[in-house]
Amino acid sequence: MLNASSSTPQVQLIHHHRLSVDHCIGSLHLKAELNLSCMWTILFGPSGSGKSSLLRAACGLLSRHGIRFIRSQGREAEDLILQNETTFVPPHLRAIRWAPQDDAMFPHLSVLQNILFSATARQSIVSSETLNEVVSVFQLKPLLNRMPRDLSGGERRRVSLARAFAAPGCKLMLLDEPFSGIDRALRDELLPQMRAWLRDHDIPVLSVTHDVEEALQLQAEVVLIRDGSIEDWGYASKVLAAERDRLRLNLSRY
Amino acid sequence: MDIALTLRLALTTTAILLLIATPLALWIASRHTLSRRIVQAAVALPLVLPPTVLGFYLLVGLGPLTAFGRLLIRIVGHPLAFTFTGLVIGSVIFSLPFAVQPLVAGFSNIDRDLIDTARVLGASPWTVFRRIIAPLSRAAFLTSAVLTFTHTVGEFGVVLMLGGDIPGVTRTLSIAIYDQVQDAQYAAANHTALWLVGLSFVALLAVYSRNGARNSRSEGDLA
Repeated sequence: MLNASSSTPQVQLIHHHRLSVDHCIGSLHLKAELNLSCMWTILFGPSGSGKSSLLRAACGLLSRHGIRFIRSQGREAEDLILQNETTFVPPHLRAIRWAPQDDAMFPHLSVLQNILFSATARQSIVSSETLNEVVSVFQLKPLLNRMPRDLSGGERRRVSLARAFAAPGCKLMLLDEPFSGIDRALRDELLPQMRAWLRDHDIPVLSVTHDVEEALQLQAEVVLIRDGSIEDWGYASKVLAAERDRLRLNLSRY
Repeated sequence: MDIALTLRLALTTTAILLLIATPLALWIASRHTLSRRIVQAAVALPLVLPPTVLGFYLLVGLGPLTAFGRLLIRIVGHPLAFTFTGLVIGSVIFSLPFAVQPLVAGFSNIDRDLIDTARVLGASPWTVFRRIIAPLSRAAFLTSAVLTFTHTVGEFGVVLMLGGDIPGVTRTLSIAIYDQVQDAQYAAANHTALWLVGLSFVALLAVYSRNGARNSRSEGDLA
């Protein structure tokens, strides 16, 4: 088990998260400790390696056994224990937002109602400025009054991301394969805007991918996961070098 | 008079059962343990028991012979057997599976990820129910209400055992038909029976109209 904190380039984050999981899900033993100290951290690994389960653990959607999640603020000591043996903060009270892998659009609500769901559920309001920003980042203006059943896969994906971005009070963004179903040209267009928006709002991201190119493009810290354990971590260019060479080799065969 | 009493009994039973069945069905739909199977089997029991058995146990259970019955008598001030309140209690228990099972099916059909996403987005359990589960289970609620209503309208054994046959108090349409046939008043029995057939048909038509509209809409989506 590796701890990803010691030699990470120090970016001054307002909220610092440490997630430690020692938990069995079916036949998978998930045993990992994540220390999120970069603006964007990527969980990279093959299907079934436990990436999405780590996100669910952070959300509070797994049973509490063996999971600790601590957030600290500024330079002060940890001020909020999200989960341990005695304290359990339910998912709706955690300052975490999640765009799940399968979109999970609410089918009876329009695109706009989906985007505003978090604010209305928490009886809070999204400023029109934030709403406009999010709608513009994900290029959703023409779709706002449509119903989910009238959207294509890529459009649903963007709405699902926008819904997480527009949720008020977010201190950590969890994105599960954020660009699946979105073509490469649009991804290249969306990515810098998403990153700029998150930086402006001081929201760190933990995302899941198995796309090498996406990880390299983000220049994020990469945590390589295999069979529920952390195998390597560090800069994308370093961690994914072997993976990139393997892909190149595969491509050159054709 | 008999029809008004029948409608009053069916409406009261339906209202009470929806209140009881909703949390019960939510609990059953969210569990996958042995306790779920035990509760499900207990809820389904009135489906297989002869109504007279259920009526007999209720008659004894609600009467002064048991501690529970004596407690109820103390609360209400009089024995519950052969009263409208007693009839409502009997109907609620008798129709419980008809209210719970459609709701369990409806709640189980909702994608778990929708509920999880709503929670992480900040919705409390009550808000998740109000904004996600309830609107996505409208058809299940309608089926549950209509089945409970029609089943209560048509119930006979429990009503006869528990309610007796007191005009204006416990004599429902199905008991009235029995009386009329006993007295060889076939024309009157036919009249009463037609009321029952009409009432049940209209209620079922409401369910199928709604489900039919839903299906044709989803077929339209595919096209």
